[in-house]
Order: sequence, then structure tokens, then C-alpha cells
Amino acid sequence: MIETVDVWFTYPDGTTALRGVSLRIKDGESVAIMGENGAGKTTLVKHFNGLLKPEKGTVLVDGIDTRDTSVANLAKKVGLVFQNPDHQLFSSTVEEEVMFALKNLGFSREEIRDRVNWVLKFLDLEKYRERSPLSLSGGERKRVALASVLCVKPKILILDEPTIGQDAKQKRKLGNLLKKYQKEGNTVIVVTHDVEFASKYFKRIIVMAGGKIIADGPPNKVLTSLTILEESSLSPPQVTVLSYEIAKKVNAFPRDIVFFDELLQEIIARLRR
Amino acid sequence: MSYTMFSAFEFKRKDTYIHRLDPRTKMFMVIVFMVIALLFNNIIPLLITFIVTLIPISLAKSVKEWLNSLKGTTILLVFILVINSFVRDLNFAIAMVLRLMVLITAFSAFFLTTHPDDLAQALIQMKVPFDFAFALSMATRYVPTLAREAQTIMDAQMSRGLELQKGGLTQKIKNLIPLIIPLIVNSVRRALSIAESLESRAFGAIKKRTYLYQLKLKKSDALFIIFLTSYLLLMIYIKIHFPFTIWMEWKFPL
Repeated sequence: MIETVDVWFTYPDGTTALRGVSLRIKDGESVAIMGENGAGKTTLVKHFNGLLKPEKGTVLVDGIDTRDTSVANLAKKVGLVFQNPDHQLFSSTVEEEVMFALKNLGFSREEIRDRVNWVLKFLDLEKYRERSPLSLSGGERKRVALASVLCVKPKILILDEPTIGQDAKQKRKLGNLLKKYQKEGNTVIVVTHDVEFASKYFKRIIVMAGGKIIADGPPNKVLTSLTILEESSLSPPQVTVLSYEIAKKVNAFPRDIVFFDELLQEIIARLRR
Repeated sequence: MSYTMFSAFEFKRKDTYIHRLDPRTKMFMVIVFMVIALLFNNIIPLLITFIVTLIPISLAKSVKEWLNSLKGTTILLVFILVINSFVRDLNFAIAMVLRLMVLITAFSAFFLTTHPDDLAQALIQMKVPFDFAFALSMATRYVPTLAREAQTIMDAQMSRGLELQKGGLTQKIKNLIPLIIPLIVNSVRRALSIAESLESRAFGAIKKRTYLYQLKLKKSDALFIIFLTSYLLLMIYIKIHFPFTIWMEWKFPL
């Protein structure tokens, strides 16, 4: 479980990125953190694995204050995948790249072999095992970066902007993989601008603006509120836009729809009446 | 750590007397302070010079940024102090620390207040070929970008359990590989894409360029140059007539 209590953070150049963030993420949740550029999303998740320590307030991971432990120690529990894979790929083969974290965290030889096999299969990267990660395409590099963190099987997996540069098919695959990983009892947190992706695969949406949390709740509460969306420079999901347009013409048509199936059933129900 | 150190040399847009000075005047400033710093190895004249270098820093309202630059070099300063204390004596060591502080302050006053484009323009007007001037201003422009990137890479690898401080000397050097390789790869990639975007905007199509802005020395520049020159002459005078200014050779009684 991650718990933050009134967390404030200011960068050395003087910009205050977090202004009193308090939240609680329980084990097994799936959370999307959204908001405009500079809202403090990345700064917040860097607090979850101890890369940044709060200037005021506390961050507790499973009850342990991140100030009292090291990033390497937390890395066993909290996996953070960075936005740009080129900031971490350095090995000569994909296999070695994945082994890096496992070696650092002191896993046994057999354990390393098993986990590498598992993660390459899980992310459909087996065919690239012997390839240089630098020679792969952008989307594939992103998947290798994910593999290099996921191999640790962290209880809490955090991804910063995982959908950037991914085509529709890859996005769907990624969404389903994350869902699968979460179903196994793990917490999955993403930072994203992608409203469709967030509403489709995540049960809890946290919206940030100006270093504060301005909304926190299920997609059909958060992503259908025009005031919240306006304040955070997000555009509503296409399904929501459509239901808003219908509601203008049809009496008492619900406006809090984010899922396609929901909209379809609503329309069919009305047609049958 | 690395980030704060580099931010101390990064141009910050402000509107002050020093910021408005011609880059050539500020280059002269750096040279004057450099000459004086190398001229002396006694505590008093270096201390005075150090205090004088604080004038442009405070006029530029950049004390905070400058303090960051000193903070970033603390390890180096302590290293110099310790080594010189062993090799020579404490007085010489303190003088050497002051000398480095004068140099850091002068350079940080220059880079904090000079836009890379203005630096390039100054060089061009000093008859440096455009390509070189442009390359230099690009290099200065990318120092903070590179520093920020290094920080991100470090964060990313630490998230994968890398511990930089772990192990003996060889292990510590090995620990740097996951940082250096992505940094080099990204720099090369970036250089290639910069080259492409330069070419797509017809870089080098015309041999003789014209310039929108021309730098001109103003009255305020003249004033600053007079101040610097008189200070330089005074210090040279003191250096030559050391017997008359014996207090300049004051040392800590050891």
C-alpha cells in the first residue's frame, strides 16, 4: 500500500511541483494519474519509489517511510518504468538488459533464468532475446524497458506515459497485459494523457493540476465532469462526447457514460421502449 | 547533484545591468579576473579579488545561482585544500582554493548572464568563422539539457536497483556503464537529428550571412571596462611593487 500525507516538493530551480498531496493506494488497485503537463504527475510517482523525498509530509510504502530506506531497497517492491526507454537501455542484448535489475537485486542464477523466460514470454519479446535493444523500433524498445522492470515482479508497477508512440494494437495489448498483471494481485499505476486508455483499463482516475489532486474517483465520475476536464486540459473520452451530444436532444439521457458497451445498452434500451 | 551544479552555469533571463552588457565586455571581465587570479598566490589579494568578483554577481541578482555553483564544486574545493596542505602548506592551500573560487565566480557570472546566441554573435563580430561560433553556442545551449538527461538516466537505472556507491573502485567504475552508454547513444541520436533539422532549414546555403542584430558597445560597457582595467592595473602595480605593500603577503601564523 502506498500512502502519502500532505506531500510538498520543490525542485532546486525553485518550481514547486507538489503542493500538499494526500492519497492512499491500496494493494491490487489499478490507478491512472492524469493531468496537464507540469501538473506534478511524474514528480509524484518518483516519490513512490524513493527517487525523490518529500520536502514536507511523508510517503509510506507498506508502512515504511521512504526517507528511511534506499531506492534499491524499494525497487524490489515498486517498479518504475520511465517514459523514454532510451534513458535506460544500454546492454548488448535484450536478455542482458532484462537481467540487469535482477542481478542488482541479488536474485539467484536459477531465479534470474526463470524470470527472464517468464517476462520475455509475457511481453512477447522472445524473438528479440539475442537482439540489441538499441536496434529495435520505438514501440519494441518501450516494451523491453517495461520487461526490464517487470522481471522483478514488483508488487507495485508504475508506468510513466506508456502509450506514447504505440499504435492502437500495441496499446490494446499493453492495456490487457497490465490488466492481467493487476488481476494477479498487484497494484498498477500509470501516468498518462491518454483518456481512452485510462478509462478503458483503469478503475480509479486521479487528476492533478498545479501540484494538487483535483479529482479522484472512478472513470465515469471523473472523466465525465466538464469542470474537472477543463481545469486539467484533458479532453473527454469519445463515448462521453457522444452521450453529451445525445443528451442535448434526448430527455434524461445519462451524461456519465465512458464505456462503449454502456452507451450501446442505453441506446438499445431506449429504442426498445 | 549534477543538475544543481550545471544549473549554476545556465543562462537565466533577467533584466539587470550585467545582463545588458555586451558579451565582449563580459569576456574581458573573465580574462581580467583570470589574469589576476593567476598573478597571485597569496591569500589577501586573492581574497580581495574574490570579493570584487561578487560585484557582478550581485549586480546580476544571481547570488542564489552562484551559491549553487559553489555548492556543486565543494568536493573539488575540499580536495584542493587537502592536497595542497600536504604538498605545500595551509596558506598556499587556502590561496589555491580562493583562486579556483575566483575562476568559478567569473565564469558563472559570464554564463549566467550571457545568452548563447549573444555569445555567438560576439564571436562572429570578433571575426570567428560562423560555423565555429555556431557550434560553440550550440554546445553551451546543450550543457543543461545533457545534465538533465544524465539525471533522468541516473533515476531510471536506480529504479532498476543500481547502487552507484556499491563495491570497490573497479565496481564503482563499472557502475557508470549503465549511465554513460545511454547518455552517449542519446547524444549521437540528438546530434544526427539536429543536423537533419539544420539542413532542412538550409543551413550553410549561403556563404555570406547577414545578421538581424549587431552588437554595439554602449556607455555602460565603457564604464565597466574602465572599472575592470583600473582594477587590473592596480593589481599589476601591487604585484610589481610588492615591498611597498607587504601586508598583501600576510599569512596565517603556523
